[in-house]
Amino acid sequence: MEFRLSTEQELFKRMVREFCEKNVEPRSREMDDKEEGIPDELIKGLADLGVFGIMIPEKYGGSAPEGEEMTYANIAVQELGRAEMSMALPVYTLLCLGWGFLITKYGTEQLKEEVLPRVAAGEYFTGIATTEPGGGSDIANIQTSGMYKDGKFIVNGEKVYISGVLESIEQRDGGHITLIRTDPEAGHRGFTFVFIPAKLPGISYSTFDDIGRMALSTGSLVYKDVEVPEYYMLGEMNRGFYLNMEGFNLARILVAAACVGMTEKALEISRDYVKQRVLFGRPLAKFEGISFEIAEDHAKLEQLKLYLQYTAWAADTLYKEPDFISHRDLSRMVSICKMEAPMLGAEITQRCMTHLGAFSYTKECPLGRGLRGIMSYVVGAEGGYHIQKLIIAREYIGDEAVPYR
Amino acid sequence: MNIIVCMKQVIDLEQIRIKPNTREPVTKGLPLLFGDFEKCALEEAVRIQEKHGGKVTALAVGSPKLKDTIKEALAIGADEAIILTDPMFNDSDAMGSARVIAKAIHKIGEYDLILLGDSSADEYSGEIPPRIAELLDLPQVGFARELEILEGNDQGTNTKTIRAVRDLEDALEVVELDLPAVVGVTSELNTPRLAPLSAILKAGRKPLNEWGPEDIGITADEVGANASVVEVLSNLAPVQDRKEIIYEDVEEGVAEVVKALLQEGVLTQ
Repeated sequence: MEFRLSTEQELFKRMVREFCEKNVEPRSREMDDKEEGIPDELIKGLADLGVFGIMIPEKYGGSAPEGEEMTYANIAVQELGRAEMSMALPVYTLLCLGWGFLITKYGTEQLKEEVLPRVAAGEYFTGIATTEPGGGSDIANIQTSGMYKDGKFIVNGEKVYISGVLESIEQRDGGHITLIRTDPEAGHRGFTFVFIPAKLPGISYSTFDDIGRMALSTGSLVYKDVEVPEYYMLGEMNRGFYLNMEGFNLARILVAAACVGMTEKALEISRDYVKQRVLFGRPLAKFEGISFEIAEDHAKLEQLKLYLQYTAWAADTLYKEPDFISHRDLSRMVSICKMEAPMLGAEITQRCMTHLGAFSYTKECPLGRGLRGIMSYVVGAEGGYHIQKLIIAREYIGDEAVPYR
Repeated sequence: MNIIVCMKQVIDLEQIRIKPNTREPVTKGLPLLFGDFEKCALEEAVRIQEKHGGKVTALAVGSPKLKDTIKEALAIGADEAIILTDPMFNDSDAMGSARVIAKAIHKIGEYDLILLGDSSADEYSGEIPPRIAELLDLPQVGFARELEILEGNDQGTNTKTIRAVRDLEDALEVVELDLPAVVGVTSELNTPRLAPLSAILKAGRKPLNEWGPEDIGITADEVGANASVVEVLSNLAPVQDRKEIIYEDVEEGVAEVVKALLQEGVLTQ
């Protein structure tokens, strides 16, 4: 049993932290205030460090630490969460990593050659488009159609609450792995997963006015007779539902990583503050009402962080040893992380705000940005809070706890 | 250009705690890193190599942790590393360390330039560069904040010199040295690069040699605690006591505080 990060992992963590402290953190408020996206030089700098290439083999321009991709990605995304608490940059990155990994695993050679080198270079965004106006949690019920004809999928429908709409169409370039219904009669066995470059003819978009992570756009994508060549398909026809679930497992681990990083920083801000803020003649830290709260939150966060590291390792191990655990077991573990990290982070950040008092309610203080950002992962994004409970209940209690059967 | 960069691992200074009762620094169990000066020396070596070709060798004396720490130097761009971690070298004074380094450099043999931090971030004695230069009988310059390699031709033979700008606090001095030479650098020299993931993953595959006392031909009477002539009498954090002076009158209070701050050098007139 080995709990330590390896020398290489530690070194990579330190490199990402040094980059973030020097380049990302000082610009985090500006990014949130301006709402003009993530500065190119930050993406470029992270790409130069190899962050966008963690999931991508050297052959496609990446620098994947083979067999340890999720462990390294977990490390990098936590660091980004610490530095950019609104989580726009962490989310942008984790989407490229998590869904990029799925392209690495299941994309056709042509798709990989076309997309992956540009992802690794930070020029190209890869996200996910599953949710529709009718909902996202009940995936088996999505409607966007993609009839296969003459080597192409003809896609019609609408996807909503999609991250990276402006980034992939206006600001940079990119696309989304999209769940489409290719066999209307076959229920969840009638979906296919295709990568759709966001600039394909027939795609229009609109954006939503989010309350947080202001440097990352969210919007809707409308598809009208969009022709998607067959080589953009991931895996096999009509197996999209399962690939989507597998991709969720990867992305959710990294979502939890972003939340854990943000929360860790929030707690450090509070810890440093209560040591120097004097009230009634002594530092705030001397009041057990404060110090015990911080101690409890630290304990909860440390436990989650360790469990997250374990889960990332389990995901890596599952790809190396397919019999190690089942994908369903991994889903349970991942959902524990994805259920806990955003909600615990939101709760801890709120408590930190009470320690800092009125200052925490100003934009000068990063805690508000953190709270607004992390709420996106409480309410939804890669599966909302309650959906994670449903998955855990399904896997732990059994079918008796499944409402859709 | 074959360049040797001498690197010292130091404890992470940001994590040192001071015992409140005794003012002793608590240094046990802290992570070991390379200091900023060493990183600047290495960065400069890699830049010179990128321009002039050749090889960069990282050389370090220290605890067995060096096997891990040295990977950073290899990831940044050193082509190979030599580490000396024998317990015989423990608790050396600057002279003892300089002997080990000089003998290791002598064994490496082929070199044009020896770069190192002007001082180490932990002890800051600044003795190593001049001492190894003396032991190797090489020209030496310290406090270098700018470096340039000059290639010339003297009666048909290629010559190499290095031009250094020395920081003398109130003045800058430009000096030229014939190579090989020893150069101690300051952190103004450059901004060290960060190692990308691909280089980190490959660092472990670069040559890493571990040399012991017999490899470099040094004996216990030249190095380690026995050979040390320096005795550390005290190493304590400065006393910090709060004066707790309360001024009832604001005007008088402000004037007194300004006066005190001027005296302490916090403010200047």
